[in-house]
Amino acid sequence: MFRNFCLSIAVLALLSGAFPGEEALAASPLITVVKPGAKKDAVSLARLSATGPNGRLFVQTLTRDLELSGWFTVAQNGSVNVSGTVADAGGGIQTRCDVAWGGKRFGWARVSSGQTEVRRQAHQLADEMVKQIAGKKGIAQSKITFVNRRGANRADVYVCDANGMGVLQLTRDNVAAVGPRWAPNGHDIYYTSFLHGYPAIYRINQTGGYRKALAPFRGLNTGADISPDGSRAALILSYQGNPELYVLSLSSGRIRRLTNTPHGAEASPCWSPDGRCIAYVSDATGKPQIYVVDVASGQSRRLTYKGTENVNPDWGPNGQIAYATKRSGYEVAIMSASGDSSSRIIPGPGGECEHPSWAPDGRHLVCSCRSALYLLDVEGDPPVKLFNIPGNWLSPDWSDK
Amino acid sequence: MQISKLMMVNAALMCALVFTDTGCKNADGSWRWPWSKDRSVLGTGDGVNDVGSGFSGATDLNRITDEMGNVISGARFEDVLQPVTDIRFNPVYFGFDSYSIPPQEMPKINAVAQDLLQNNNHVLVVEGHCDERGSNEYNLSLGENRAQTIRSILVNLGVAADRIQTRSYGEEKPAVIGSGEETWRLNRRGEFALYQR
Repeated sequence: MFRNFCLSIAVLALLSGAFPGEEALAASPLITVVKPGAKKDAVSLARLSATGPNGRLFVQTLTRDLELSGWFTVAQNGSVNVSGTVADAGGGIQTRCDVAWGGKRFGWARVSSGQTEVRRQAHQLADEMVKQIAGKKGIAQSKITFVNRRGANRADVYVCDANGMGVLQLTRDNVAAVGPRWAPNGHDIYYTSFLHGYPAIYRINQTGGYRKALAPFRGLNTGADISPDGSRAALILSYQGNPELYVLSLSSGRIRRLTNTPHGAEASPCWSPDGRCIAYVSDATGKPQIYVVDVASGQSRRLTYKGTENVNPDWGPNGQIAYATKRSGYEVAIMSASGDSSSRIIPGPGGECEHPSWAPDGRHLVCSCRSALYLLDVEGDPPVKLFNIPGNWLSPDWSDK
Repeated sequence: MQISKLMMVNAALMCALVFTDTGCKNADGSWRWPWSKDRSVLGTGDGVNDVGSGFSGATDLNRITDEMGNVISGARFEDVLQPVTDIRFNPVYFGFDSYSIPPQEMPKINAVAQDLLQNNNHVLVVEGHCDERGSNEYNLSLGENRAQTIRSILVNLGVAADRIQTRSYGEEKPAVIGSGEETWRLNRRGEFALYQR
């Protein structure tokens, strides 16, 4: 029973074409450029006139968004043409443009104020182009949260746009912070902070507007991941003696324990897209490996056998689980929910890569490699550094939408 | 009904008992901790503060209960007690990816047990740490298991279990910054923090 529905997630994803690739090619009429990696349409912004600084920010943002979408390249001449004007107006811009490709077109007219709004409008246009031209879900409007670690017990939580722009510091505690994760509502972030001198789980808003403790109990409180319907949190607590996986109902406040490993430590819980299973890490057999538990029955199953350690599972919208596997060093891999017999390494920029997190398009991943954050593409586009700010950046989590 | 009645009896009892899981109700309906450092550690009972814990910040849910309906409590020593700063213990060192205690480290734990057995007003937080290698989320859990292992040994040596709490810093607070075998060895450790009750 359990085995059946966990498998059915992967099968459904396949049937519904959630995996990018073959179907995307069929849906897209204009394939003009073939790079290593996925096939793309070339977009020309040559006839998009942008004179002021905000207009240039709009074009710069749109360019990066289109290239990071995986479906386009930006070139002088392309089969997709964006024409019109982006004029600085007030503190923002006034946009009037036209997107044309293969006999089709759509118009785009917006007014915005402030730099954040300018970027957001470019993200909206990029996602609209991905949707209308490639027939796919765009990621330009999604966000990434992560940690900047400065030294012993010194860190803060940050957030940025999916293209690495608009890096914003959310907390100003300068105290250890671990594993920020987006709630499915796209506004809240749950993370573990040592704000009070011990690890407790907190909920903060993406604007840094508020902070509330979800679990400040005895022992360890960490790893809150919110179920896709927003009703439950999967967390790691040790108030009963050693770290175990629990599910907390956010409406009733009642918790239920899902693991019972008196000599093992659990970590990194992560919900399946249908909210019926939780993938997690356990060292019950000696080394950390990835397991999946059926929440209703409490039945667990080990997923990983390759490599000495397998950690950081992230269950994507396509039914695939991304994780870090230790072969010679840590590498990012993906597998189906049936286990790692069918796993595939996703090449990084070289060196150790950890903590992958799926983008909402089920095609891209963000991970940490040698103190920087990189975007990976399961379709084969080369890794892209998210931003170029010096520092130790880690534990990225991509928002669900 | 039965549960709330039970909790009232419980709350009354707690006024006399230190280190149990509920607080005392003040005349204004707020909750007071007998060992609170200051009056700011007050829960109003309206969900702003967790009724069952000494946690001093805002909490997300009014209360969290287990499968039996019992309120899970924080009541962490760090929130409500003053640290003892003039007594220091040597850190206990661990092997790679391991939370068992090497035999040569046992005398250090014995020394901590002696202090706790001789000073009934002392309580302890055991702090678990890891080296920088591996997943930092897993390392938090590994560090907690290291602290729990030391805690079990102290309990076996005769220290009451409710006098020992744990906290894990995982790899977040290394004793020595850097990489290499010797640095990693010095960072895989258990530390001890005494509090006065």
